[in-house]
Amino acid sequence: MQKTDKQVPVTVLTGFLGAGKTTLLNRILTEQHGKKYAVIVNEFGEQGIDNDLVVDADEEVFEMNNGCICCTVRGDLIRILSGLMKRADKLDAIIVETTGLADPAPVAQTFFVDQDVADRTKLDAIVTVADAVHLSSQLTDHHEAEEQIAFADVVLLNKIDLVDENGLEVVKQRIKKINPFAKIINTTKCGVPLNEVLNLDAFSLKRVLEVEPDFLTSDHDHEHDDDVTSLSFVSDTPLDMEKFQDWFTKLLQTKGQDILRTKGILDFTGESDRYVFQGVHMLMDASPMGKWPKGKERSSRLVFIGRNLETMNLKEGFENCKSA
Amino acid sequence: MKADLNNFPQLNKTKFENRGKEFRLGIPVINAVTVGNSIAVGFGDGTVRIFSSGKISEPIKAHKGIVLCMAKDGDRILTGGDDGRFLRISLDGNINEISNFGTRWVDHVTSKNGSVVCTSGNIVYLWMPNKKEPKLLEHDSTIGGVAFDSKGRKLAVSRYGGVTLWKKDYSNKWTSSDLIWKGSHNKVIFSPDDRYLVTSMQENQLHFWRLKDKIDSAMSGYGAKVKSFAFVGDSKYLATSGANDAVCWPFDGDGPVGREPICLPYVGKQLVTFVESFPNENAILTGLSDGSVYLSEIEKANNTIIIRSFTEFEVSAIAVTDDCSHLLIGDMGGNILWTSIWDEEKN
Repeated sequence: MQKTDKQVPVTVLTGFLGAGKTTLLNRILTEQHGKKYAVIVNEFGEQGIDNDLVVDADEEVFEMNNGCICCTVRGDLIRILSGLMKRADKLDAIIVETTGLADPAPVAQTFFVDQDVADRTKLDAIVTVADAVHLSSQLTDHHEAEEQIAFADVVLLNKIDLVDENGLEVVKQRIKKINPFAKIINTTKCGVPLNEVLNLDAFSLKRVLEVEPDFLTSDHDHEHDDDVTSLSFVSDTPLDMEKFQDWFTKLLQTKGQDILRTKGILDFTGESDRYVFQGVHMLMDASPMGKWPKGKERSSRLVFIGRNLETMNLKEGFENCKSA
Repeated sequence: MKADLNNFPQLNKTKFENRGKEFRLGIPVINAVTVGNSIAVGFGDGTVRIFSSGKISEPIKAHKGIVLCMAKDGDRILTGGDDGRFLRISLDGNINEISNFGTRWVDHVTSKNGSVVCTSGNIVYLWMPNKKEPKLLEHDSTIGGVAFDSKGRKLAVSRYGGVTLWKKDYSNKWTSSDLIWKGSHNKVIFSPDDRYLVTSMQENQLHFWRLKDKIDSAMSGYGAKVKSFAFVGDSKYLATSGANDAVCWPFDGDGPVGREPICLPYVGKQLVTFVESFPNENAILTGLSDGSVYLSEIEKANNTIIIRSFTEFEVSAIAVTDDCSHLLIGDMGGNILWTSIWDEEKN
């Protein structure tokens, strides 16, 4: 945590081809913001953008030999980020563009797995640019589109001028069903202030504390297919740390491939600190985050975004962790 | 040599610092290469400076961003940068652009007997002596490292999933074979006798192959990625970074399989970030994450002396002149020490 000052924030920009990623990147590169941003791009060379800080990448996904079955990382990103961190001039932020059909997980996992990357940079947020006109059909046709929404901290819902009010609402509901925790920003031509997409610190554990409790209590309808959905649980009864660790470790080990993202604030019996974690597939960042605020009730909140969540007996598992 | 560790952390300057010259440039030192009795240093602002007889040259503006890689090429150096340029630079600062890859970085460069190599992405570009056009050797994934054997007839290319070993036959045709080991391989080197090939990996370990029978094995147990490693003297030991100790694996006889490495400890439990062989001795120069540098004999007791006290910045380059009279140390904070090695000599 003390390293934060030295860590350069990295924003991951996902979204289907044609959604408007390039428009946003062009703005980041050309607007007068007085900041030094490096942009790691794919399939961007033809655009002929003349900027020293545009780096071509190859989106190489590597398996790690660390016993984690779904642990893949972006090898090219490790190489490029390590290189950028050796620069004499310090960067204000780095933006990583992924191709339209990319799974965001290996990018996110890179920040958990590679020590050099974790020491010098930090995953700031995953921003997904979505086309208000085509998102619904893309979600139906491509699981990658679902994953990009599921992983998003911010969804830039672009081209809203091309849909009517009703259509817009339908798309928003669709996004919320997959990921009720992403902030949705309506835009035309990605006309959003850059400070709403960059430097959000969305992956810091502190941010997990801001997860809204009302969101979490509502139950969502589940489709009985491969759709990405979310589930959340709340408990006012303190949890047993040992039981929770047993259950949760085993859950991630066996179902980590289907669980895309997890977040939680936990109240353990006998512990005065709040425990906060967030995870991507099987990888997790967790830490005690100071005492519970005075005058606020202690409670545990747990969020899952993933596939086939209804088959994992999550509710039962969570209930069993409550202290007797 | 005598142990001199009682004063750690060393607040006082060492005798090497006292008689040497210190340069506080504030620009990260990325790499250093010895050319005769000069040492070329590549920096994180794209410049190269030549150090010679304790003097520093004007900055040579080689690359726009970083000097990503550097190698000796006869009496000149090769550099690759994040501006996509592959350069040959003479010690007096003349720059000759061999090739330009635009927004694609030049990740690795090397040369042997007039043949010159750079890599960008998954392609090795190989210029044979006196040839204008390079030969392209393509691979399935981005190249992690590249190395010639001592004769320049073999070229090892590390990548995801192992090493591609290219061999030049007597009609100058290059053919390849694969050395396979799961995972991503980075830096690669041949042992000085060409019997072994060693790579460092994305995981905290190294891998080696004995080339005569393709026996291979991992060298693991590190707390961090092994970014720096070098064969010592006549290749009896491989010195490695990535732990609190300098870990030296035995490569005599049948190699390190089933044998323990010699671990050289340093006070303070800092991470070893850089190792370099000390020429003509069974000794290594070890740079730590706090900037301190030690000279250690591998098989002797009371074997370590301190060369440089700490700077708080990790050591990123150590090079010794060809006549073994002087050495240069650089760190990520842009601090450079040039000093004579032997007591009787003057700077």
